[in-house]
Amino acid sequence: MSWNVIFFYALAAISLLAAVGIVIAKNPVHSAIFLVLTLFNTAGIFVMLGAEFLAAAQVIVYAGAALVLMLFLLMLVDPQALPQRGGGHPIQRIVGPLLGVILFLEVGAAIANRAIVGGLGNASPENIALVGGSTQAVGNLLFTQYLLPFEIISLVLLVGVAGAIVLALPERLGERLGTISLGHPRGTDMALPEGPSTAAPRTRADERATAALEATREIILVDDPDLYTGGRGDTRQSTVKITRN
Amino acid sequence: MEQPIWLTFIVAFIFMNVLLVGMAYMTWYERKVLAAMQDRVGPNRVGWKGLLQPLADGVKLLGKEDLIPANADKIVFFFAPLIVFVVAITRVAVIPFGSISINIFGQSINLWITDLNVGALFLLAFGSLGVYGIILGGYASANRYSLLGGLRSAAQVISYEIILGLSLVGIFLISSSLSIRTIMEDQMRELTFAIGPLTFTLPNWYILSQPMAFVIFFLAAVAETNRAPFDLPEAETELVSGFHTEYSAFRFSFYFLGEYINMIVVSLFAATMFLGGIDGPGADRFWGIGILWLLLKVILFLFFYIWLRGTLPRFRFDQLMGIAWKVLLPLVLVNILITALIRLIGQGQLSF
Repeated sequence: MSWNVIFFYALAAISLLAAVGIVIAKNPVHSAIFLVLTLFNTAGIFVMLGAEFLAAAQVIVYAGAALVLMLFLLMLVDPQALPQRGGGHPIQRIVGPLLGVILFLEVGAAIANRAIVGGLGNASPENIALVGGSTQAVGNLLFTQYLLPFEIISLVLLVGVAGAIVLALPERLGERLGTISLGHPRGTDMALPEGPSTAAPRTRADERATAALEATREIILVDDPDLYTGGRGDTRQSTVKITRN
Repeated sequence: MEQPIWLTFIVAFIFMNVLLVGMAYMTWYERKVLAAMQDRVGPNRVGWKGLLQPLADGVKLLGKEDLIPANADKIVFFFAPLIVFVVAITRVAVIPFGSISINIFGQSINLWITDLNVGALFLLAFGSLGVYGIILGGYASANRYSLLGGLRSAAQVISYEIILGLSLVGIFLISSSLSIRTIMEDQMRELTFAIGPLTFTLPNWYILSQPMAFVIFFLAAVAETNRAPFDLPEAETELVSGFHTEYSAFRFSFYFLGEYINMIVVSLFAATMFLGGIDGPGADRFWGIGILWLLLKVILFLFFYIWLRGTLPRFRFDQLMGIAWKVLLPLVLVNILITALIRLIGQGQLSF
């Protein structure tokens, strides 16, 4: 058995086991780690097939994508509130495995019929060496034969970016622009909003009068917030009025 | 050029151990340079001029107590520092230390570990894998500060990785290759100009044809390696020490090793892509001189790293993101556009 075969089986076995791990791991962060492991081992298989560019692109693109996925997991998922195994809606528990079995049968049928193999392309090692390497071969195909799908995909990505910007935009653009300015223009932070005030200055007596008015306030002492907000309809509450003068 | 696989393994073993020793002395170099900048003496107790200090530090780190937080995700906590270290040290595999094979004991030995035809992409890809070690370490520590450090690191690396990759596209366009060795050999040619009666020769180093890309690449590389002034993931004033707050003893030392090896590898990468790698006077006569030139360029880059750390205050996080997306990204796209236009005109495929 040559080294190539041993390496291939090692890579394939690890990527398959990690793929199973994605599904059965209880902690979503562990699932994401298994996902990265699967993608990395698939990239290794690409290298063995002589498609170095695809391998590097797979690691660069999917490593970044899985990193964003992991960020979402860390920021949005509460590790204390993970669902129990065997939980979930009954419909989910029936439809999920059913879809899985159907997909498995479809892939199996495709492999058994050799439908997935298709005709042999002209990407033989000799042809690839002729154009200068796998990078050049992929580039040639991408920008001639598959130019239209390539451009459509970039359009879809552009729509995705535009959608993200629309979602993150505040209700009125001015609010956000006002808050993220990097500093006040020179002098504006000290100026009054509507120029100097023209009202007569308040006297000591005025202030004492308003203070007496405002000093009367209700202090509510309850054991349970529900009692006050009327959550349970119980009116057992003690209200104390304090008047300070 | 073909050599038996056991010989490649021996070469790889030597390179990686040299890298580890280089990392140890990088810490000594950093402390000495920083001390000189801050008008101090620096390490001078262990060995002559403190030269044995890295060894003493290593022994001290290995002898410390290994703490694991009670709430930690134990397996991830164990593997996260290893990811950073292994990924960092693997990246040296595509760096060429010479353009020819040398003869030792009747064996023809290549001065590089592997000449991958997508070597530059390999370095970028493994650079982005390294951040997993940081974010997983931050997550597994079960500590808010660690998690915040990890999240910052992820956001930072996603932004600066794009800049780093795009700043190299100009070079790929000029040399029409992704292999680092081919790119280096391209730069070893000489360019001869004739302006009027004067003729003068310049090396074909890409720093001369891509100066803006070089500056942007170096900025992005500093951010990618989490060094000052972009060391937000481990900002002491805000996050205790960021993602490695909970790490101690040899687990911490793996993070430390990974960071410094990353700096050396990125410096090697920059020297090879922009400064001609081993190119220099006398490099074509003896391979050792070429390696010395490469070493000199790497030390220059490492000095810049330390210089930045000794001079500049840390950026705020929104400033960090603003620099990447609002300043560097448009600049680097303009650079690609101009390079592509000039290349098309030079090939005669576009004329006015």
